[in-house]
Amino acid sequence: MPLFRKVLVANRGEIAVRIERTCRVLGIPTVAVFSEADRTARHVREADEAVGIGPAEAAESYLSIERIVAAALEAAADAVHPGYGFLSQNGDFADAVRDAGLVFVGPPGDVHRRMGDKRAARRLMAAAGVPVLPGYDGDDQADAALLGEARRVGWPLMIKPSRGGGGKGMRIVREEAGFQDALASSRREAKAAFGDDAVVLERFVERPRHVEVQVMADGEGRAVHLGERECSVQRRHQKVVEEAPSPALGPEERRTLCAAGVEAARAVGYVNAGTVEFLLSPDGSFSFLEMNTRLQVEHPVTEAVTGLDLVRLQLESAAGRPLSLSPEDAVPRGHALECRLYAEDPSNDDLPSPGRVLHLSEPAGPGIRVDSGLDTGSEVTVHYDPLLSKIVTWGQSRAEAIERMRDALRRTVVLGVPTNLARLRAIVEHPAFAAGDLHTGFIGAHLRELTPRPCPPLEAIAAAAAALALEGGRDGRERRAAPDPWSSLGPWRLGGGA
Amino acid sequence: MRLRCGEETFDVQVRETKRGLEAQVAGRAIRFALERARPGVFVVRDGARSTTLHLVADGTVLHLSWDGVAYALLVEREGARTAHRPDPDALETPMPGRVAAVKVAPGQPVAKGEELLVVEAMKMENALRAPRDGVVRAVHVAAGDRVVPGRALVEIE
Repeated sequence: MPLFRKVLVANRGEIAVRIERTCRVLGIPTVAVFSEADRTARHVREADEAVGIGPAEAAESYLSIERIVAAALEAAADAVHPGYGFLSQNGDFADAVRDAGLVFVGPPGDVHRRMGDKRAARRLMAAAGVPVLPGYDGDDQADAALLGEARRVGWPLMIKPSRGGGGKGMRIVREEAGFQDALASSRREAKAAFGDDAVVLERFVERPRHVEVQVMADGEGRAVHLGERECSVQRRHQKVVEEAPSPALGPEERRTLCAAGVEAARAVGYVNAGTVEFLLSPDGSFSFLEMNTRLQVEHPVTEAVTGLDLVRLQLESAAGRPLSLSPEDAVPRGHALECRLYAEDPSNDDLPSPGRVLHLSEPAGPGIRVDSGLDTGSEVTVHYDPLLSKIVTWGQSRAEAIERMRDALRRTVVLGVPTNLARLRAIVEHPAFAAGDLHTGFIGAHLRELTPRPCPPLEAIAAAAAALALEGGRDGRERRAAPDPWSSLGPWRLGGGA
Repeated sequence: MRLRCGEETFDVQVRETKRGLEAQVAGRAIRFALERARPGVFVVRDGARSTTLHLVADGTVLHLSWDGVAYALLVEREGARTAHRPDPDALETPMPGRVAAVKVAPGQPVAKGEELLVVEAMKMENALRAPRDGVVRAVHVAAGDRVVPGRALVEIE
């Protein structure tokens, strides 16, 4: 008897494809939703059914609670998996799904709301004995009150919007003179992005590492952790390379950190899979950062070292099955890395780079997993997140996972859309990365060595010219038109664009 | 052929030799052999050493991946012409190769688009067609001849 009659996947791209995969294995039919931009996308083709939910703009499709709930009812699904991003941490969405008589694969609305407010989350964690950074999370948000609290916290400090994420509105203030300006601009940005300008103040930690604990809980006091991940390699507060376990932790630190993660999940009455994020200071102390009330992008590294399928655990938990994990399940075997392939141009300030994928070749081999929503012909649009796919490698040791990642990246080809592939290679080939010497400023600190050369070697230019001549000639003949094949370059295209 | 990468310009001349291809680029002669594995994928050999080239053109932008790194080049068609402006009355091969067949003789009237020569390069045949209506004035090659761009093979008047 499958866990559900039918699951609607309220997402797109690689995560929708990944969730559909587990549902197939469990014998659960899936319903994809798609915007006009995604009519023939891979997540649509790999689902059993698909329902259109509106135009390309996310606000009118993947972010529309009304349309997604209507699609679930129309398709007679009995559960909704939100994936990550979009509505996955929206308490109103979780409530709307439940109110429609369907199962939401994740925690209930009030848990999302409690953790989505940094002030409330900080207070809750401090009360539960989970370490938090020295800071201010009070309700008095007057400028004078905040300045007084800022002096108490000390410089440098971080101003963080209480709502929202993704680095929006975050400011580092190094001395009192810059405080008022930074506060004003943080509030403006927060107000515009999240409709709320309340802030939290926290002591700024130099060269911190980002570590996080994967938890599973059943809402009845039973909560377990599945080990930690380290996600210190970031740019603009977005993770780029993740791994499990963290190279920074010994067995004792790991035990303490993971216990704090479980404590945090219990304190909030957590249900289903979640992630408790911590900042790890150079002195080895750690502090609660935030809790992500959903499946994480980087969950495959935990799957790789535990052998568990987190989407399966989520579905079992949502179906009311008791939590059946033992502490041994959390003991990591070997080491796993994940590289996020983004449609971003490292030679152009990492700006998102839309376009059409004209040619695609993904790696495979021992210890290699690729979670991808891409095809040759896929259009990478400006409407959605630039994450294209995730390349995950496993090894018996960290060194082996790195070796496999180097090779996997070397055999990954995406043409037509600029990507951060060369930068990923430079990161995993960097001696500081091999040494595990990581911090959230890693990319900035090593940027010069991590910015790829824009021009190919002469051998490649020579071969490309010859290959182009070869193909140009072929095309000229096939089209039986232009006597000068060079003039037929325009429409010529290889690789089966759509 | 002229390829541009950012501010850098590369004029590339490729010719077929007894042992494969030879490209002149940036004052260097690069020898290699090239085979097409499947659309967009080529095997480039330097002796026993082989490298996979992924290549796809989108308009005048040439996307390629070499040794696991992706690049984009601009194909300058006009540049290729200024380097060598073909005579409208002369038929040339666009690529180095071998004449597989000669379909016309001097004095023969031809129509625009008619097949005059077949040139084979890297196991692929390429038909060369009359650029305009006219009469064949001269044929400078015979089947089996090795040909390179920049030389009149057939002249029409």
